[in-house]
Amino acid sequence: MAELKFVGADKPQLGQPLSPREEAVRRLKAKGFLDPAGQPMPRRQFLVSLALAWATFAAALGGGLTALFAFMVPRVDFTRVDVFKVGPPTNFAPNTVDESFKAAHRMWVVNHDSRIFAIQSVCTHLGCTPNWMDGERKFKCPCHGSGYTIDGINFEGPAPFPMRRYEVTLADDGQIVVNEGRLFFWEKGEFDDPRAFVAV
Amino acid sequence: MLNKLKNTVLDSQIKKSIFRVGIPNTDRKRVLIVLGNVFLHLHPTKVRTSGVKLRYTWCAGGLSFFLFLVLTLTGVLLMFYYRPTVEGAYVDMLDIRSQVPFGIMRELHRWSAHAMVIMVMVHMFRVFMTGSYKPPREFNWAIGVILLVLTFLLSFTGYLLPWDQLAIWAITVGSNMAKATPLMGAGGPFADFLQIGGVPLVHPGDDARFMLIGAKELGGTTLLRFYVLHCVGIPLIAAVLMAVHFWRIRKDGGISGPL
Amino acid sequence: MEHAAAGHGVLFEAFKEVANILATPWLSFSLTTIGLLLMLRFRRYVFNWWIGILAIAIESGVIIWGMKDPNFSLIVGKPDNVPITAMLFISTFVLWLAMTQAVNNDRRVEQKLPPDEKETSNQKTWVWPDLLYIEFIALIICSIVLILWAIYLRAPLEQPANPAATPNPSKAPWYFLGLQEMLVYYDPWYAGVVLPSIIVVGLMAIPYIDTNPKGGGYFTFAERKFSIGIFLFGYLALWVFMIITGTFLRGPGWNFFGPFEYWDPHKIVALNNVNLSDYVWVKWFQWIYQKTHIEWFNQGLPQVRNAIPQLLPPDPTSIRLFLVEVGHAIKREFAGILFLAFYFLALPGILAKTILKKFYEQLDLARYSVLVMLFLTMFTLPLKMVLRWTMTLKYFVDTPWIKF
Repeated sequence: MAELKFVGADKPQLGQPLSPREEAVRRLKAKGFLDPAGQPMPRRQFLVSLALAWATFAAALGGGLTALFAFMVPRVDFTRVDVFKVGPPTNFAPNTVDESFKAAHRMWVVNHDSRIFAIQSVCTHLGCTPNWMDGERKFKCPCHGSGYTIDGINFEGPAPFPMRRYEVTLADDGQIVVNEGRLFFWEKGEFDDPRAFVAV
Repeated sequence: MLNKLKNTVLDSQIKKSIFRVGIPNTDRKRVLIVLGNVFLHLHPTKVRTSGVKLRYTWCAGGLSFFLFLVLTLTGVLLMFYYRPTVEGAYVDMLDIRSQVPFGIMRELHRWSAHAMVIMVMVHMFRVFMTGSYKPPREFNWAIGVILLVLTFLLSFTGYLLPWDQLAIWAITVGSNMAKATPLMGAGGPFADFLQIGGVPLVHPGDDARFMLIGAKELGGTTLLRFYVLHCVGIPLIAAVLMAVHFWRIRKDGGISGPL
Repeated sequence: MEHAAAGHGVLFEAFKEVANILATPWLSFSLTTIGLLLMLRFRRYVFNWWIGILAIAIESGVIIWGMKDPNFSLIVGKPDNVPITAMLFISTFVLWLAMTQAVNNDRRVEQKLPPDEKETSNQKTWVWPDLLYIEFIALIICSIVLILWAIYLRAPLEQPANPAATPNPSKAPWYFLGLQEMLVYYDPWYAGVVLPSIIVVGLMAIPYIDTNPKGGGYFTFAERKFSIGIFLFGYLALWVFMIITGTFLRGPGWNFFGPFEYWDPHKIVALNNVNLSDYVWVKWFQWIYQKTHIEWFNQGLPQVRNAIPQLLPPDPTSIRLFLVEVGHAIKREFAGILFLAFYFLALPGILAKTILKKFYEQLDLARYSVLVMLFLTMFTLPLKMVLRWTMTLKYFVDTPWIKF
């Protein structure tokens, strides 16, 4: 029979069989749970080791998960943000909704109450594109039936907020410039911000 | 002559190497044939007689699994033609229909998906109505609920891939729900509270929805993400859980029946 | 576009009219719930061959007859809606199949016989060939159905994706239409995120809450009345019913349309939803003011501004401002807050002494709490639905930070 080779502290003493208890003590000593004199590891030291072990495990797991989530959020977002001219204020008659920019820029230009503003065509409920119903004088979202008045204020259906508005400014050539990079929120009281509308 | 040929074939080393057990005409061979085959080994060698009665089990669980296999097969075949890009996806849908022989592969895939959702729901209904979630089968019921959710998610991620109007608006609504997640979505309750010195931690460029669709608006990144989830991510998780589910059926007392 | 229905006869017109009226949300939901209760109450007479065949026949009859109507056939015939029409039949069939066997087993138990399944559950059957040939036949039938379905019905493919034009109506995949229907009644954070999570966790919790040792592994109703009753309500009234409503009865603008109604995108429906606080401060307090002339009741709806506290690093001014607004919100929404406190805090105790008494005594506190919370959460949905239909209620509590 080939001779078995044991390496390290686990090596049994050949020739003298150990009782089960002695065998257990020997293994615990080998693993460091008992010191060479046979005394157990102090309770405090044991608890600290246990806590450290678990903390390391949790940290590794948490770190891995964080890395996974971080990996899923890229540093650069290539969503297009445009700044564009929509024409002079005279192009927009009072109390009308101009739909000519909806297809390209997903927004309406509205002249209402002596103000011209750009409403983002995104329902605040779940992001569908509402339709302007000229007959009913309201925006109506096809997804869950949210309704907005001509100035984009929600009045029916599940929408929790009015629709957002883009920044509008007057360029030197007298045209209105819409900036998709800046949104104005009604619930933050931003609709009266001078950049949220062009007075006419 | 014919007889000799038949014997040669049946006694050949090739045949014997594949089929260890002959025709299962004895109980011993019936045991061996199930034990020796990795696929049949899904089953024990004997089951409760009540377990094979169609009116008790409706075969709904088995059919759900079969539909999963059909979906895997048809899905892999579709992957040969489909490109998950904004430019390619819709065109490839048309090509799969008109330019590929047996152009019903997409139909098979879609209808199997619907059928699988229905079958999983029916299976769950049956398991509830027979009280088959009661001890010792509690854990397997919980696994089953996760599998139901995964079935929904598989179908939902697949819904975007044709990149038609039906697809993007269903996913727009779905992904905007992620935006409403409390604390983790930019539009969700209390997300505004998470800020350091006025700099928001949760905003449209870094929230639950962004992570799901890979951009602020639905686009190419979304399509790619859903494609990977649909073809690899969720099926892998589902397959692992299915293995657990099937194994636990055997370990928790076999196919449904009074214990 | 008036699709003239001339030539179909008065009977057909009357049938369409009745169907349209019956489909009104509040009516159809009430009918579903009452029907479910009656069905379970009179299960002995309902679940037999004749009623089963009759139910399927009536369903087929309504659908086949209804197909003569262009509006109806347009919706039902849509390829993606075929599984839902199929689900209508499958739900009826599986309900019948399960309950028939349950009624039969209950009868056997009354006669001191073991349930039907027990007769054969102690015997064993060979997997090869007895189980495998059943599986084999099931696979073949399933494959044939799928192939025929795939040949005769094209998978839907609409116009290429266009972010600027939302189709009207725009719907989620059919199995999420229950969810989309919930979104009409609750905000997305609740209907889209929190409630589905609770549903999933609640489903997983069922085996740990239902400690009833009876009825494991065989069809029964009498031994598990409460659990099956609640499950059927959730499954049929809150899941299947909502899917069917969402698929067949929700048209342009997510407005409600009867099954035989033309989907008019310009249908005018008053959806002016009002918060509970509006009712309290504007309507009820005004009424009290008219009677008593106490000035306090005449203040109208208090204003609440959306103040966001800066917690990191703590900014005392903004936190103070926030707390002031929270105070305003509590004042404005006191009725809703009291109602929700009653619903989620007091009702568990009341239920423990009344209809859930048996469970309170049988279960430990942890299990009872989970049970009653799931129970109450489930009923937030029909509660809000009913309040929306009867008093166009939008929110119980409407603060700038969270709305419920």
